[in-house]
Amino acid sequence: MGFLAPGFLLGALAVALPLYLHLLRRQGSPPQPFSSLMFFEPREQSAMRRRRLRYWLLLALRLAVVLLLAAAFAEPYIPRLTAGAAPDKLMVLVIDRSLSMRAGSRLAQAKREALAVLARKRSGDSAQVLTLGSQVSALTQATRDPSALRAAVQSVEPSDSHGSFGALAAAMRSIAATARTPIELHLFSDLKRTSMPPSFAEMALPPQVTLVLHPLAAAAEPNWAVESVAVPGEVWNPRATRVRAVIAGYATPAARKTVSLLINGRTVATQQVQVPASGRAAVEFTSLEVPHGLSRCAVRIDSSDALPADDEYRFAVERSDPKRGLFIHQSSDERSPLYFGTALASAAPAAFQLEKLPVDRAASLDPQGYAFVVLSDVASLPDTLADRLSEYVRRGGGILISLGTAAAQQRAVPLFGGELHGTHTYSREAQRFASVGVADSTYPSVGQPMQWDGVRFFFAANVDVSGSRVALRLSDGVPLLAERALGEGRVVLFASGFDNLTNDLPLHPVFVAFVDRTIRYLTGTEARSSSSTVDEFVALRAAREQGVGVEVVDPQGRRALSLASAASAQWLQLAQAGFYELRLANGRRDLIAANPDRLESDLTPIPPEVLALWRGGAGANAAADAAATPQQGEPAARSLWWYAMVLLLVAALAESALGSRYLGTLREHP
Amino acid sequence: MPGDDLRHVDWNVFARTERAYLKRYRGETNSLLTVLLDASNSMAYASHPVTKMDYARFIAASLFYLAIHKQRDAAGLIVFDDEVRHSVRHSTRSGQLQRLLAALESAEPRARTRLEAPLEHFHGLLRRRGIVVVLSDFYASPQAIVRAIEPLRFRGNEVVLFHILDPAELHPRIGGSAVLEDLESATRFAVTAEYAEQEYRERITGHIEALKSGARGAGLAYQLLVTDQPLDAALREYLTLRRARN
Repeated sequence: MGFLAPGFLLGALAVALPLYLHLLRRQGSPPQPFSSLMFFEPREQSAMRRRRLRYWLLLALRLAVVLLLAAAFAEPYIPRLTAGAAPDKLMVLVIDRSLSMRAGSRLAQAKREALAVLARKRSGDSAQVLTLGSQVSALTQATRDPSALRAAVQSVEPSDSHGSFGALAAAMRSIAATARTPIELHLFSDLKRTSMPPSFAEMALPPQVTLVLHPLAAAAEPNWAVESVAVPGEVWNPRATRVRAVIAGYATPAARKTVSLLINGRTVATQQVQVPASGRAAVEFTSLEVPHGLSRCAVRIDSSDALPADDEYRFAVERSDPKRGLFIHQSSDERSPLYFGTALASAAPAAFQLEKLPVDRAASLDPQGYAFVVLSDVASLPDTLADRLSEYVRRGGGILISLGTAAAQQRAVPLFGGELHGTHTYSREAQRFASVGVADSTYPSVGQPMQWDGVRFFFAANVDVSGSRVALRLSDGVPLLAERALGEGRVVLFASGFDNLTNDLPLHPVFVAFVDRTIRYLTGTEARSSSSTVDEFVALRAAREQGVGVEVVDPQGRRALSLASAASAQWLQLAQAGFYELRLANGRRDLIAANPDRLESDLTPIPPEVLALWRGGAGANAAADAAATPQQGEPAARSLWWYAMVLLLVAALAESALGSRYLGTLREHP
Repeated sequence: MPGDDLRHVDWNVFARTERAYLKRYRGETNSLLTVLLDASNSMAYASHPVTKMDYARFIAASLFYLAIHKQRDAAGLIVFDDEVRHSVRHSTRSGQLQRLLAALESAEPRARTRLEAPLEHFHGLLRRRGIVVVLSDFYASPQAIVRAIEPLRFRGNEVVLFHILDPAELHPRIGGSAVLEDLESATRFAVTAEYAEQEYRERITGHIEALKSGARGAGLAYQLLVTDQPLDAALREYLTLRRARN
């Protein structure tokens, strides 16, 4: 036995105090004078013997309290060193449940091997069961309960997630930071190369972690998959909508595959494609005859490979009628309708029907049936039209106003309300043109600021935009793009024209994106994606829609949100492959197609040399890993501090009880 | 009566009546009080503020006062322990009470008790018979006490044994076990509460009873006096004896 702090043993010298006190006490009380002892006899009564015994027992307990207290402070321990014994450690079993583990019987084999490892676990070691997908999930806490550990292993189910060894390493770093014992990490996985993070350093494990690999796949298994499908999320003209699919083979021979297009569970088209060995082939379907509303579609290949979960690629499309837009322009202006209309048609083919109308024929127009209105360089607006447009915006409509050379002659911009403080004709000035100086990338119409580089502005109107949100400014500070709310709608002002005269914006790619984003912003429609990836997050509500309930039905047909979370959930993680039905906070219904990450389709394992590097060892093979021999026992200290404290507590309680009885007896017979 | 001095026979009366009558002088109606005060160490014991010695002094002083001032008796004092330490001869002269009280005040407990010592001195002091009061705690064998004092009775003295004890000597209270020290012999040993409550009480009670019966059997008066009780019992006993004698 040894002591970690032997200096405290000097405290044992304090036993001198109870010894001194007891010796003094033993002198006994001073003899009492008595007139005559003629009638007394000196006798050793049994009571005196009992009292003497209690006296010595009390002294012994007091000495024990002092000695145990000194020993506890000195932190006693006994070294343990036996052949083959290893210090207590934490065994962490990680079972890979990513999509690729659905191949063959990999997951079942992983669970069997995990149970076998648990059976060999020493009773003194604690263990924990984790699962690996896109993130690491703990099924148990560190425990020595074998039944709980076995139950956790048996409960592991396959998932559609993409496995990440980077996430595993991060989780092990977190566990190692709190565990005070060595950790033996058992990883039951097919050890796919695609599960590695971009940087090998992200897989580094803490020094106290010993990695034991249990590979479940010796070599890459051939696998075909529908790698991707390119299709718009919104369809306005089914006959003009194309579906382009890519079929990939991983470690596969050249093969001919049948590719099918399914709409709402019904095969509508089939094609044959020759896929080269371990290569890719594209397939295109020239139409997508979906009914109005949301449709569940998929591209599927016939394949009897090891992993059928990636043989189908799901996508969701929404067919709707084109939205009507009104473009009001000067009669003499033929350029801006052309440029703007072309850009809109390019951005969203058939999504919008743009009606172009000169202002002099728009006096009696009722704008209520239009999704948006564009006033392009209108010099003057008839009062009746202005009133109707004002009412249209207040009721939730959106208007885009551009100011060319004609409109800039007004004193104030109609509907927007800002006064015109003059114009800038940069072509006549020294710099010849102005460019975008400040761009607010958070504004929906702006996009990436760098997209505006190179756009030259030769003319711009200087409008008082106080009280408005300014999204773009020219290099001289003149506001270029501003927005002002009016009732339930909004008015967006562009202080230059769309005619390719006041600027060369229509010649730049950013013009198409600007028109698309601005019109979608004004109409409240976002570009819809046809598919998502498993583990992605989907926004359920905007910031102003707090407290409004949302509904989510998962691919199993179950409600994914509880009543409590339905009113507050901001995001939804797509945990499974399949179709999710959503009713969002803004009342809109949506359909999301979730597909497994196609990285899971490549079943090529990590090369052995990389695995060896990960383990930190050299020359070890997988079999040696799975049958890792226990480490040679090292000296370990078993603390006796708790035993000393328990004995101290018992001695102190006994001393108190016996001392109280001893004192009480003295008080009865003073 | 046999033993009377023939010089005191009234021969004139005898001639007339042929009966012997003793001439009684006025002086012979007064008695003689002799107090034998035990001043051994055991008399210093007390379980309350009044020691046995103090109590004996109070009794002696009271008796002296009664004898001298009320009865016009001559009073004398012998203070003893294992020997006679001090004595005051009987006298009726003025100042006798003060002399006796001064002797009482100067008597301090010491040494051990030996009753035989004063008796030897006593025989030399007494010229007339009277009342002898022995004030002691009588820590000796009852037979030895009676044997030592009894001869006084045959000289015609009325002998009273005032057995003075402290309440704690009758009912000692010992906590658990204690070491007691004999005040006279300085002997120490441990005693237990159980012994003090049972056997000791039996023995002290037996001693008192034995002394009482032995004294009475020898014609000696006996009175147990406990120091926490008033003095009137002792004084009443003396006055009763005095009256009977007259």
